Amino acid sequence: MSDGNQPRQERRPDRAALVIAAALAVVAIVIAWSTANMGGAATYARIGPTTFPYVIAFGLFVLAICTAYVALRGDFPQREEQNFPPMLWIVGGLAAQMLLLKTVGFSIATGLLFAATARGFGKGPLWMTVPLGIVLAFAIWFVFAKGLQLALPAGPLERLF
Amino acid sequence: MKHFVFASILGAFLALPAHAADYKIMAPAAPGGGWDQTARSMQTALQDEKISGNVQVTNVPGAGGTIGLAQFVNQASGDPSQLIVGGYVMVGAILTNASPVTLDQVTPIARLTGEYEAIVVPAASDIMDMAGLVEKLKADPGAVSWGGGSAGGTDHITAGLIAKAVGVDPTKVNYIAFSGGGEALAAILGGQVTVGISGYGEFASQIEAGALRIIGISSDEKVEGIDAPTFKEAGVDVSIQNWRMVAAGPGITDEQTAAINADIEKMAMSETWKKILADNGWANTYLAGDEFKAQLAKDIESTSAILKDIGLVK
Amino acid sequence: MDTFALLAQGLLTALEPINLFYALVGVTLGTAVGVLPGIGPALTVALLLPVTYKLDPAGSLIMFAGIYYGGMYGGSTTSILLNTPGESASIVTALEGNKMARAGRGGPALATAAIGSFIAGLIATLGLAFIAPWIVSIALSFGPAEYFALMVLAFMTVSAAFGDSALRGLTALAIGLTLGLIGIDLQTGQARLAFGIPDLLDGIEVTTLAVALFAVGEALSVAATKSAREQKIEPVKGSVWMNREDWARSWKPWLRGTAIGFPIGAMPAGGAEIGTFLSYSVEKQLTTKPEEFGHGAIEGVAGPEAANNASAAGTLVPLLTLGLPTTATAAIMLAGFQQFGLQPGPLLFANNPQLVWGLIASLLVANFMLVVLNLPLIGLWVRLLSIPTHWLYAGILMFATLGTIGANPSSFELGMLLAFGLMGYGLRRFGYPIAPVVVGLILGPMAEQQLRRALAISQGDPTVLVGSPIAIVLLLLAVTAVVLPMILRARGQGKVLAQLAGDED
Repeated sequence: MSDGNQPRQERRPDRAALVIAAALAVVAIVIAWSTANMGGAATYARIGPTTFPYVIAFGLFVLAICTAYVALRGDFPQREEQNFPPMLWIVGGLAAQMLLLKTVGFSIATGLLFAATARGFGKGPLWMTVPLGIVLAFAIWFVFAKGLQLALPAGPLERLF
Repeated sequence: MKHFVFASILGAFLALPAHAADYKIMAPAAPGGGWDQTARSMQTALQDEKISGNVQVTNVPGAGGTIGLAQFVNQASGDPSQLIVGGYVMVGAILTNASPVTLDQVTPIARLTGEYEAIVVPAASDIMDMAGLVEKLKADPGAVSWGGGSAGGTDHITAGLIAKAVGVDPTKVNYIAFSGGGEALAAILGGQVTVGISGYGEFASQIEAGALRIIGISSDEKVEGIDAPTFKEAGVDVSIQNWRMVAAGPGITDEQTAAINADIEKMAMSETWKKILADNGWANTYLAGDEFKAQLAKDIESTSAILKDIGLVK
Repeated sequence: MDTFALLAQGLLTALEPINLFYALVGVTLGTAVGVLPGIGPALTVALLLPVTYKLDPAGSLIMFAGIYYGGMYGGSTTSILLNTPGESASIVTALEGNKMARAGRGGPALATAAIGSFIAGLIATLGLAFIAPWIVSIALSFGPAEYFALMVLAFMTVSAAFGDSALRGLTALAIGLTLGLIGIDLQTGQARLAFGIPDLLDGIEVTTLAVALFAVGEALSVAATKSAREQKIEPVKGSVWMNREDWARSWKPWLRGTAIGFPIGAMPAGGAEIGTFLSYSVEKQLTTKPEEFGHGAIEGVAGPEAANNASAAGTLVPLLTLGLPTTATAAIMLAGFQQFGLQPGPLLFANNPQLVWGLIASLLVANFMLVVLNLPLIGLWVRLLSIPTHWLYAGILMFATLGTIGANPSSFELGMLLAFGLMGYGLRRFGYPIAPVVVGLILGPMAEQQLRRALAISQGDPTVLVGSPIAIVLLLLAVTAVVLPMILRARGQGKVLAQLAGDED
């Protein structure tokens, strides 16, 4: 192999990948710290409840170092340009469902998720997709909660039935 | 397609009657477990005996029932229509998980069913009776491996109590925890552990078939139909019952408590309930009111002591 | 001969028109509920069991068998079409199945899953009828040391799903193992990595993690990536049915999957997932087209799907012969059997031959109904993919959260779904494989518990791990599976190098 006349590709450190390496190292430290504070119990196995956590923490630390090395060489795969607003719609929809589930009930909360996801994929308007989502979610609620006695949270809408 | 699926489900279930809600029972466990079955059996009995128009069961699984208990204490405060199913396992789970909510914060109604702990050995084992087990345990506690349910549960507690009663250090008990009754039973049948310890019902059909030998049972007196001495008869002063109970929320009035008590008593005396108990092989250990409260307090005290001895609670 | 007479009698009862109708209703309901991501067979059976109480014993037994097989089968449809595994046993199916569906080959993927499930169910049910006592004696000889060896063997299957980078594959596995640590340690009752949060004490639910990584992660990833959004999915390219090559490449994986899944399902601590992992890895090793793996190889659907259905029947072996409920599904079934007056246990075959053979006949009929119901529906199912992307993903998230809420209606669980969904997005963005995370969560705790049990029973003596022929054979297999491909690759490279050298001459 000769590298004489081939133009060498410029490789820059991959910052996002360095963040991953740092995150892995932090997780490893958290595991080790939390395990050290656990206090072992007497068992007949030489391997106690703390052995596996330590092994995994050590493994993660090694992986963090390797990831950092690869990141510095810029060996991570190419990534596409990302478009974040659609993602935020979906995350927002899931968060709204999670926070509202207990108060407004399954149908309305899930209807909002449905509309927000459709909006994330570019389908609107919300005044049309929200009612559509609620109707769909209510149909699902009716079948599973009434028909199958599955405990799905009820809100003002569900209590009418 | 969707319509077809929905229509077929609807068609099959619309026949079920709907009533106004009378009781809401929380099973602080996933569907299928003992507490869930108890809650659903209560639902059947209360509705079939027309004690209550409509009973709903909700499942809140997690951490030996303590997650459900915490949620129940929060939600059911002052509401006489909400009940929770629980059991002896909860007593231990509250202690080992250092749960902020305890059984003092609910209104105990009644103990409904119970099961005694049995100790078994494979048919080929050289341990013939409790005396043989005690002898081995005293000679080398580590050489006796006990197979049962999760650490800190009823099975583990019973093993610890037995060791303590015969003068062996409870921390030296070589307890092997298995998840789920089936896995433990398989290990016992396969001769992987020295002895098995669990509820009698788990072992009944194997004992009947001669694959396992029962060497002791944790009841106070000999149980009809179980051909084994109690631990006490064999000279080991331990008795324990893995009971299941029903409780109401905190802050309800004495009248409301009395009304619930009456409903549950009516249910426990009904033919439907007796049939359910027989079908499931549950022993009727109905105990209500102050007697149950006294028993509960005693259980909490002894459990907390043994969990400290085993080293699970500091 | 008595056996055949009893089975024939059972079949005659099961084939009465009204009972066939009950089987159809059971299969339809089981599939419909089982298809929901996050609602596995256990919850499906628990939800639908009360329906069967209203019928006569024969009818209810048949409907019940239909619900069981329908629930087991339902998960594969969403795995293949929507990349959303319905339960942990169909995670592997998503790996190749969804790639096939995206290439317009959803029809053959669903067909090979349906027919493979049928064949596996048929063979395994017959196995249940005729060799159950023999299988069960093998299963019982598995102690903690043997299970640990089996887990080691299963671990090497993860490497089959690593994709193109060992570093990223291992990292994904380590993340799964870390998640597996969370919760109360079974052996000592101590909480690990729970940070005082009670909801974490029971550990991370496998289905929550799988649904979040696969379904939510993918929805986020597709929404954020321009090229993925504009990518048109063609529901059908070529025939919707399996062609000659598909058949030729499917039949062996079906049989091998059955041979792997049935005994592992019968093992009290085996579990359906392990069989699917092993089957996937075996097919990847034996395939004539290794380059297709990871891009939609039909063997990777046929084998694991057969394995997961065979293990469903395998679960019934310890249940019927020993009364051992080895899975949550089996525990609920035990309650169901008691309703029919069946008392599973060592004496069952002797005491209630009529009911046992009735049940086995019902399982055969239900299995047949399943394929009758599903094959004609494949054409309809693949059309799901022609739904516009925005409605499709809105619907997927709706059903994904329904499954999670139905299994545990808590905001905390939904929060985990969101958090792991974001993690799934991050993993995809940086080219990390998804499957090893889930596999680590499933296998890690099992391997740890078995190892610690084995060492506790032996009081710390490590030689117990290689103390039985079964354990030694399994460990040798694991070593071979890791080392052999390396040697072959090294040799292959040698050949290529030799060829290059030759060309230069």
